[in-house]
Amino acid sequence: MSAADRERTRWFLRNILPHEAALRGWLSRSAPAGVDPDDVIQESYAILAELETVDAIRHSRAYLFQVARSVIMRHVRRARIVPIHTVDDLERLDQPESAASPEQYAIDRDELRQLARAIAAMPLKTREAFILRRVRDLPQREIAARMRISENTVETHISRGILFLIDWFGRGGNKRSQTSRNMEAEIASIDGRARNQSRH
Amino acid sequence: MAERETSRDIDQAASDWTARLDRGPLPPEGEDALQAWLRGDPRRRGALLRARAMSMMSESAQALGPGFDPVAFEEPGRARFAGLSRRQALAWTGGVAAAGALAALGVALPAAGAVISTERGEIRLAPLKDGSTVLLNTETRIRVRYSRGERRVTLLKGEAYFSVARDETRPFVVEVDGRRLSTAQAGFRVRKLDADPVDVLVNQGQVDVGASASANGLALTANTGLILSGPAERPWSVGPEAVTRELAWRDGKLAFEGESLSQAAEAFARYSDTRIQIPDPALAREPVTGLFAANDPAGFSRAIARVFDARVEQDGDKVVLTRGGPRGGGLPQEVFVTK
Repeated sequence: MSAADRERTRWFLRNILPHEAALRGWLSRSAPAGVDPDDVIQESYAILAELETVDAIRHSRAYLFQVARSVIMRHVRRARIVPIHTVDDLERLDQPESAASPEQYAIDRDELRQLARAIAAMPLKTREAFILRRVRDLPQREIAARMRISENTVETHISRGILFLIDWFGRGGNKRSQTSRNMEAEIASIDGRARNQSRH
Repeated sequence: MAERETSRDIDQAASDWTARLDRGPLPPEGEDALQAWLRGDPRRRGALLRARAMSMMSESAQALGPGFDPVAFEEPGRARFAGLSRRQALAWTGGVAAAGALAALGVALPAAGAVISTERGEIRLAPLKDGSTVLLNTETRIRVRYSRGERRVTLLKGEAYFSVARDETRPFVVEVDGRRLSTAQAGFRVRKLDADPVDVLVNQGQVDVGASASANGLALTANTGLILSGPAERPWSVGPEAVTRELAWRDGKLAFEGESLSQAAEAFARYSDTRIQIPDPALAREPVTGLFAANDPAGFSRAIARVFDARVEQDGDKVVLTRGGPRGGGLPQEVFVTK
């Protein structure tokens, strides 16, 4: 990752990511039918990734909601037929809940505890690999040796761990139903998938 | 519409790329493959940014220390199939360094008879030897005394949430004001504040409340509350949403639903030295609903001011809310630039 990339990622982590759950909530309630909130979120983030500079953005939450709104507009324009009520709905989109919500002030200790909880809830092998990587800061190669699995499998566990965090934090701190449903299947299939997806 | 990759597929691929980048620098052909992938769909670059941000955020897990024991942070309901035992988990994380390591979170492994306490505004998780945990709310003191026959914790003051690991042979007993609350496995809250009678709320499992001179013993099941007030005490059922609100402090939050502003101000007073004052009695009676950071009474006051069109003045440790200030105003407009 280049220094500029890292800087942008850090800015995104601090200023945008904390609002994702609120944005998803707003989109689920307000986006016109046929527009998938998760698509809008990814596209909005892509716009933020491509901005020349983010220095001028003071109110990142309001900004994020505006970007999301522009993405929805783009979707609506792209669609051949725009049902009349979609246009009406867009009026409602004019007032996103951009006032800073009190929920967003979180103490650092609390964040760390949330992270510890998220890690604790990961499937066990993934959790083991993730802890060795992130808590103990071992390189993936060494984790492979310790866990007696291939490096590709370690990589797959790290990928699963990151995806787990995306779900956990993006959906307001909990995704247990999905987690428990997938847990056993994931453990069973993870080695096979790692082989299929190895990239060199 | 052509078959479209789902956002979920993209997140999965973005996580794969992030894990690949985490492994080491990409070779040139890998870099080309990444760029080609990014060009394939406008959502992908956004998904990759998020996955990398998550990965970066998880780097702060190092602060948990080498002895981090995830078992202490598991949700009570987690299935333990094929699980590492707590002992094994400690073994592979490099020994029983948990006490020092978890100090980052204000956590310590208590010795027998140890007193654990929190200051005002502090929340502390205390893992116990048997895998149970106690989460202490602000200004709370407990004493832990485990013996062969009994796991006993005394709540001296404040509020605590007990997540009790199952052990049919050795009951977990919370002693409070001379009463015994015992269980083999449960999650429950006990609150003992100066002026009020003790308040018990069972979130899951079953808790047996021992008899006292003036009250009979009884069993409390999940979503049941009881105030230990003597002869008239009677359990009542608590809806799941109310349980969530009652326990919001576990995430450092205060939840209100229709409480008066003055009641909310009192709730905040437990968590910080900052005092919210509402001289106007009509304003003080206004109902409040919402979820707020317990350690941020000023942020709460600002949010309230917006809703009730009030004015906030901060003066040292005092935050004064008055009616009839200038309008809070709409959201500040940002110059919106996109390509």
